[in-house]
Amino acid sequence: MLKQSGIFSIISATLLTLFFSLISLEISAQAILEPVKVGLIVPLSGPWARPGQVMRVAAELAVEEINEQGGIAALGGAPLELVVYDAGDNVERAKNAAQRMVAEEPDLIGAVGAYLSSFTLAVTEVTERAEVPILTLSYSDLITSRGFNYVFQTSASGAVQSSGALPVLMDMAESASGHRPETIAIIMDNTAASEAFVKPFFETNILEEYGLELVVNEVFTPPLANATSLIQHIRAEQPDLLLLLPTAISDTKLLLEKMNEFRLGRGLIPTISNGAAMGDPDLLSNMPGFLLEGVMSIVANWSTRGQEELIDKFKDVSGEPWMTQHPLSTYGHVWLFKQALEQSSSRDSTVIANTLRNMTLSDGAVNYFPGNSLSFDQTGKRIDAGILVIQWQEGEPITVFPEREALRSILWPGE
Amino acid sequence: MNLKRDILSIGLFCLVYSILALFIDNSYYLLLMTIVPIWAMMGMSWNLFSGYSGLISFGHAAFFGLGAYLVAILLGNWNVSPWIGVPLAGVLGGLAAALVGIPTFRLRGHYFALAMLAYPLALLYIFEWLGFQELALPMKREAPALFMQFENQHIYVFIALFLLAMAMVVTSFLSRSRFGMSLLALKQDEEAAEASGINTHMWKVFAIAISGALAGVAGGFYAVVLLVVTPLAVFGMLVSAQALVIAMFGGVGTLWGPIIGAFILVPLSEILYAQYAADFPGIQGVIYGVAIMTVILVAPEGVIWKIKTWLRPKQARVIGATTCQLNTLVNEDILAVEQSDIKTNDILKVENLSKAFGGLKAIQNLSFSVQQGELLGVIGPNGAGKTTLFNLLNGFQTPDAGTVTFRDKPLKKLRPNKICHLGVARTFQVPKPFTRISVFDNVVVGAYVRSRTNHEASELASAALKLVGLQALANSPAANLTNRELRLMELARALASKPALILVDEILAGLDSAATKAVVHALKKVTTLGITIVIIEHSMKTMVELVDRFIVLDHGALLTEGSPENIVKDEKVIEAYLGKKWLEANAEVK
Repeated sequence: MLKQSGIFSIISATLLTLFFSLISLEISAQAILEPVKVGLIVPLSGPWARPGQVMRVAAELAVEEINEQGGIAALGGAPLELVVYDAGDNVERAKNAAQRMVAEEPDLIGAVGAYLSSFTLAVTEVTERAEVPILTLSYSDLITSRGFNYVFQTSASGAVQSSGALPVLMDMAESASGHRPETIAIIMDNTAASEAFVKPFFETNILEEYGLELVVNEVFTPPLANATSLIQHIRAEQPDLLLLLPTAISDTKLLLEKMNEFRLGRGLIPTISNGAAMGDPDLLSNMPGFLLEGVMSIVANWSTRGQEELIDKFKDVSGEPWMTQHPLSTYGHVWLFKQALEQSSSRDSTVIANTLRNMTLSDGAVNYFPGNSLSFDQTGKRIDAGILVIQWQEGEPITVFPEREALRSILWPGE
Repeated sequence: MNLKRDILSIGLFCLVYSILALFIDNSYYLLLMTIVPIWAMMGMSWNLFSGYSGLISFGHAAFFGLGAYLVAILLGNWNVSPWIGVPLAGVLGGLAAALVGIPTFRLRGHYFALAMLAYPLALLYIFEWLGFQELALPMKREAPALFMQFENQHIYVFIALFLLAMAMVVTSFLSRSRFGMSLLALKQDEEAAEASGINTHMWKVFAIAISGALAGVAGGFYAVVLLVVTPLAVFGMLVSAQALVIAMFGGVGTLWGPIIGAFILVPLSEILYAQYAADFPGIQGVIYGVAIMTVILVAPEGVIWKIKTWLRPKQARVIGATTCQLNTLVNEDILAVEQSDIKTNDILKVENLSKAFGGLKAIQNLSFSVQQGELLGVIGPNGAGKTTLFNLLNGFQTPDAGTVTFRDKPLKKLRPNKICHLGVARTFQVPKPFTRISVFDNVVVGAYVRSRTNHEASELASAALKLVGLQALANSPAANLTNRELRLMELARALASKPALILVDEILAGLDSAATKAVVHALKKVTTLGITIVIIEHSMKTMVELVDRFIVLDHGALLTEGSPENIVKDEKVIEAYLGKKWLEANAEVK
């Protein structure tokens, strides 16, 4: 009797243990496999909806690929989940969206956003207080100069782009044509972005240092009514380099048409602009492609060598003719989060932020940004963020410099 | 009494709102609860100026933006806390508004609206040019509360609510004061308001300054909440439009209108964004637009008026209300001309007065004088220049040559309200009542020029109403009056300014004989108070019985003057009225 009851209690104890361990296993499996949430906060409505939509496609593509490859291994294969928030058409909306994001998603490990630098500034005011790390492609210097701990800028900042532009241009010109340029012309509008870009040229003696003579310096107030006198000035001076900095598409078109008319177009005078806008697919719906031929632009990121497979896939999914800076960086940001998750094995956003701050990447996500290694300083600025030069060739803006990342070689007049 | 009720309901509203906020922990809802009062305040700011004065401003973003930038720059550059910055933003907004107002008030109607549109647009570019594309309010990790930065988001809600409550009390107080009534009067008829002694220019500047101050405070606190200031976010067209839409949606010229507008529209638009924007980008804008259009179609004057009509469909609508009270026992004699003021026998002297409109000489070298206490009739055929004469006398138009002297004081280049202040009142050929306010308040507006306190204004208005016999209608809206009552009310409004001289322009036009009798009776009573009357009228029969003396105008010049008996026989007068042929034909008959 005693024996029987002993066996019975052993069996029941074993069964109970098994039962509970199964339950707890089930629970822990659920816990592990609960998706890791990453936010995407970009304008999906209003005037900036198009770039926002394209960024969304890229982010979704990255999430899909990561999940197909088994999710976050360090977290038991937990899948990534993208939560999307519309930053709307003004700063107030962007801030509201960010507040809604952190309120609705308390277990967010980080977010990507928010396209316009003013939106990024507002969004990061919220995420900083909520201790959620943000990866951004916005390149305003203000973003990383506020002493924030939870914002990481992967693009070369505005100041870096403008002060780094001239050495890159000189190197590029020399390697393409065999001699260093001696004269430079500037045609620009008086918008903030253009003014900021040329600031170091006038506030330091960088032009002298590089032995450059400024032969034309024309500033216009957009919209431009007539580009004739500006381009005539260029034809008269025949500079070795032309820095062309319009912001509105209509002004770009007018200037390029006039250059073509005066037979200075198609790269006859090396023409360089700044920013991803000069490589936007939208340009082609506003002007014939031949006008853009040969035009170059300095950008913080663009499709480079080794990304061919990704670009094809992206073009397929999005219907876009090529992959610009915005989707590419966004795609890279999601992969960067994946690497930080793997490295930290944590779902804690503060831990992820710490990991991002302290890691130095030489593989993985680094492939989606210019340069060989990726790390951030204490302010969240990328250390040694490089810049790329793209050039319109056969109706498509293609990375042409630096050579190790270039998809094609640069076309320089006189070659 | 009404002010107290307002303050009580404002207090109750704040209490409910605060309790509601305390039960909410979601940071996003708390942010919304902070932003809604800011926009409500912006709507009130717009309403206080445009809603009450009727001058549409598309430029309130200018004051909002200046406030926001002031707070951001003070904190960013000089470490000045928003606790100081936000009140300063109010001062800056007020100053900027007054500065903008002084030149812009020269324009009227659409021109004014368009000019106002230019200010924020100009500021937008100026701030971009100054390099203020993006300003961030620095995060204060040490002593954040000193810099209006709080971990606890409830505090932001309370501050926003406090600012809104202040704006509401200011609006409630001002709208019931001389300020509000004067603005409502000038909104409905600027000429009549001027002629009733209201210094319309001064009130408009005052109104826009207060309104600008509210917008500045709203903008300053907006910067504190958003922490990022960009020219587009604070000077953009959307800011001005939002203020306007909120006030118009809720109800223009009311205390609660902008509150209702903001509390419906701001969360509605946010919820639409939150719910649909990610899946159907742009759909929120369409729904929002349709909602606004529907409301404008169904309730063009705003939600609050529609609700009021539903609740009390029969009651005639009167907007605003003074704190003045009708005194039925008042003595009419308080309107009498003070003997001490009578210094000269010729109360009004006109010498060599001329006015031309292009080639048309409306008044030519006209001279005459008016005796103290006399009832002078001005007659002449249509187009003789009678109304132009009145316009020259009360300052609506300035003469090309000649002088007008009232009680030995030249009236050169004085604005109508100043002339009214000296003691010249007028009524209009086509009545110009302030239709949306009560009969009593219409007359109170006229009394402002001669009274310092509401009590004085009440006494004068009550006496004037009693004299013309309209006391029974004191509380009905002016819009409901018959032609006779309108004429009498205009006379009462003129009387309430305690004038020494009233210019009465065709007060009997279109009246039947019974009504004519009533008005003539009132005019005779006026003369017994020692008030001088100059009257334009066509009805010779009545005039001959009424007036002491005539002057006759033809083609802007003085044809003749004299007693009624002589004038009716004067051949020149008959010729001017009936033509040479008539005179010749009748002469033959004779």
